[in-house]
Amino acid sequence: MHIMEGFLPSPWWQAWFAVSIPVIMYGIYKMNKLVNEKREILPLLAVAGAFVFVLSSLKLPSVTGSCSHPTGTGVAAIIFGPAISAVLGTIVLLYQALFLAHGGLTTLGANVFSMGIVGPVVAYLVYKAGMKANLNFYIVVFLATAFGDWATYVTTSVELALAYPAGGVLTVAGFMSSFGKFATVFAVTQVPLAIMEGAISALLFKYVVNVKSDILIEMKVIEAAVVKKLRGISA
Amino acid sequence: MTNILDDYALMSPLRHRNNWLKLVIVLFGLLVGVSSTSPITPLFIALCMSFTTVALGRAPLKLYLKLLLAPVGFALTGVVIIAFFSGSGQELLSFNLAGYPLSVRADGLELALLVLSRSLSGMCCLYFLSLTTPMIELFAVLKATRLPESLIELSMLIYRYIFVFLDMALSIKYAQTVRLGYSNFRRSLNSMGMLGSTLFIRSWEQGDKLFLAMNSRCYDGKMTLFEVHRPVRAIELLLTSVYFLSALALFYFTKNISII
Repeated sequence: MHIMEGFLPSPWWQAWFAVSIPVIMYGIYKMNKLVNEKREILPLLAVAGAFVFVLSSLKLPSVTGSCSHPTGTGVAAIIFGPAISAVLGTIVLLYQALFLAHGGLTTLGANVFSMGIVGPVVAYLVYKAGMKANLNFYIVVFLATAFGDWATYVTTSVELALAYPAGGVLTVAGFMSSFGKFATVFAVTQVPLAIMEGAISALLFKYVVNVKSDILIEMKVIEAAVVKKLRGISA
Repeated sequence: MTNILDDYALMSPLRHRNNWLKLVIVLFGLLVGVSSTSPITPLFIALCMSFTTVALGRAPLKLYLKLLLAPVGFALTGVVIIAFFSGSGQELLSFNLAGYPLSVRADGLELALLVLSRSLSGMCCLYFLSLTTPMIELFAVLKATRLPESLIELSMLIYRYIFVFLDMALSIKYAQTVRLGYSNFRRSLNSMGMLGSTLFIRSWEQGDKLFLAMNSRCYDGKMTLFEVHRPVRAIELLLTSVYFLSALALFYFTKNISII
């Protein structure tokens, strides 16, 4: 759900930049720490960023006929955590604005907030909670990605509703009514889309677990015991 | 996505102009467009930028029009919502849809048109940048700003690998398509999952190899870039200032004009 260039009026696009920049700074700080500890992580982060970009530029099989793309940030959040996903998401969004004309430069702050920050944070929280509750790993991945996507879309609606409240002046009632409208219209494409992306992410992790599970263990995404259980090998 | 806008930028004659000048033009267009209060200024900016991109930057006209149509879906949905639900003035059009009264009011329509024109001018500015300036040129600019080193390093590596993986993803997708991998909905989901995981595993291995290769060539966390010095020509400066001044004048004089 990219907000287009020029869509947000003046006080709002600056405001979203102001919200996003501290989070990205924190992400960069975390990333620098990680890179200093383990130098081999930087190339890995780079290919992960490229992976997110390529994944998000592929068209999903669509139900509603509209052009729909996976966000890809859910997968990144599960593997690298939300802080680093925010940095990766920012770079990917910048490239999307420049190469594919998805989103824009003035709306970059708002897009980073909804897709690079809120989405991954929610995905990560759902993932952690699900793993703690000892649910099936694939179901957790599905839920995390789907909820991450929904959080992104709700945030986008909030951003639009704040900028364009019903009645022209920002009041609670005007905001709520406008938010309801944006959310309803976007729900048509976003609700099925999120479910599909969740399914695809779960399938993705299934193949990775089957073929090259040592990556996931190395990144501390899941433990070796869980992998064994998933692959049906009795330890 | 078979062609990325970057491909056209590499062929554009405007590629060999000063990067800072282009960046200033784009930022000026974005800021004036987004802060204007009447649809006339953004439309003027959109026209100027489109002319520059197509006539001076030699972007294919057909491609350019197609590009402009691409994001229209989002813009129209948003604009229709704004037109119907904001505003409190005189009613222009009203009807009932499934029991809900819907009406377009004068100031709501005005706002919707303004937002549409702003988006259009923003898109034209962005396309000007992405169709005339390849990313490699922008890295030199990024280096000159005081952004954190690791961020720039990361973006350069990401940029390089986007093309490697895009190629890989497309060939996998073709291979899946000819094997009827996308013939129905269930199969497409499965194929997408396989595509994603293969891409993930391959990119991980690629990352390992990249680290080894860079390490054995004494990589110390810094890549040096070669920046070509391109002086701004007088004619370019003149044209830019004429454009800036006329846009600002238009911005000033159309401040309080409403078209409806």
